[in-house]
Amino acid sequence: MGTENLVRKLPNDIGGDEAGKIERVEHELLPWEKRCHALADVLDFHKIINTEEKRRGVESLGAEMIGKLSYYERWIVAFANILFQKGILTPGELAVKMSEVEGRFSDVPDTRQS
Amino acid sequence: MSATLKKLTAVVPADGEVPLFKEGDAVVIATRSPIGHYRMPTYLRGKSGNIEAVIPGRAVDNEEEGYGRNAGSKGYYYRVAIPMTEIWPDYIGSANDGLRIEIFENWLENPTDV
Amino acid sequence: MSEQHDHDHDHDHDHDHAPITVDEKPGYFDLMETAVRELLIERKLFGADEIRRQIEVLDSRTPALGAKVVARAWTDADFKSRLLENGRTGCEELGITFYDDTQLIVLENTPAVHNLIVCTLCSCYPRPVLGLPPDWYKLKPYRARAVYEPRAVLEEFGTSIPDDVEIRVSDSTAIIRYLVLPMRPVGTEHLNEAQLADLVTRDAMIGVIQVGYDREAA
Repeated sequence: MGTENLVRKLPNDIGGDEAGKIERVEHELLPWEKRCHALADVLDFHKIINTEEKRRGVESLGAEMIGKLSYYERWIVAFANILFQKGILTPGELAVKMSEVEGRFSDVPDTRQS
Repeated sequence: MSATLKKLTAVVPADGEVPLFKEGDAVVIATRSPIGHYRMPTYLRGKSGNIEAVIPGRAVDNEEEGYGRNAGSKGYYYRVAIPMTEIWPDYIGSANDGLRIEIFENWLENPTDV
Repeated sequence: MSEQHDHDHDHDHDHDHAPITVDEKPGYFDLMETAVRELLIERKLFGADEIRRQIEVLDSRTPALGAKVVARAWTDADFKSRLLENGRTGCEELGITFYDDTQLIVLENTPAVHNLIVCTLCSCYPRPVLGLPPDWYKLKPYRARAVYEPRAVLEEFGTSIPDDVEIRVSDSTAIIRYLVLPMRPVGTEHLNEAQLADLVTRDAMIGVIQVGYDREAA
């Protein structure tokens, strides 16, 4: 196979692929992850972004992002992209809003791990 | 007038209103390779199985739904039974082991037509 | 759950505050979630109350609901046959609502058949009945291997299924979700429904383990 398999087989289509041992990991959702899940459900209820569009949006992030972003990181980025595609939001509006939200925490020390 | 009456007594269902397959039918999964978004995993393309159940009620083709067509083409989903040995020639386990999956109508073919 | 959550119960605010008490700056994707949500609420595409309500719905769904369904099926044959006929309406009889468009098929384990559920394409899971799936269910090793070598996967969970028992793997991809109805363990005849429900775990309803009962320990 040349490069065509990058197109014909989606990164999330992994049934039957070789894979390692199952590590039985689980974690309690972070508050933002739970909000993100609720957001996904509400977007689907209103058919602003239906569940299938969300799946398509995640797949279209491509293999590198699917491999490196966490589950809900993939969701929120996919939502943003779909909202841009639908003309509901623009990339600029989101960037401005994110700065505004970040500004609310200007007196809080940044302890994030990069 | 008589033509109208004739129509009323012989109602012909529109395409897709009646399930194409019934319980027990042998089916083959299509081998096409859509790009962009699909819900038919590649590991099952071209495999043979049997209809275990017709899922009641028609639903939108989720490959269309993935692009926001919430009122897209409707059809039936089927619960299809496929032996593991049909999918994986080197399957390790019992010959009775099997897979079940829901498949949208337009992915299924009658083996005698293939 | 959180302080913010309790705070929200006092009054029906129509806007979302940033949490009042924070000890660290939100991460990049946390900020993105807040920004997307607030922009959509400002555009009146939905209300902040809908998000709060859905968080409450999500919090109310845990494997205890599924366990209740299983225990009822073990003790009430009529209920069990209705449940196997239509999983969704069976659960609804017990007050478990379905907040999405999914249907539910309940797969009964018997001495001849062992069921296992997976979603190879994403992470379909019976959320209304079991809550959110564990991470391992959403990660590649389980999704990739469950359809190819289910017996090896089961062994990794400590579950050994004899060769004369048929393994059925249900790959969930569209509108149907699955719940495994495990076999009732032997020696539990004296237990009541609530005691039986306590034995039923999430993993048993996914089908990666069986329900066990150790009378000595109980």
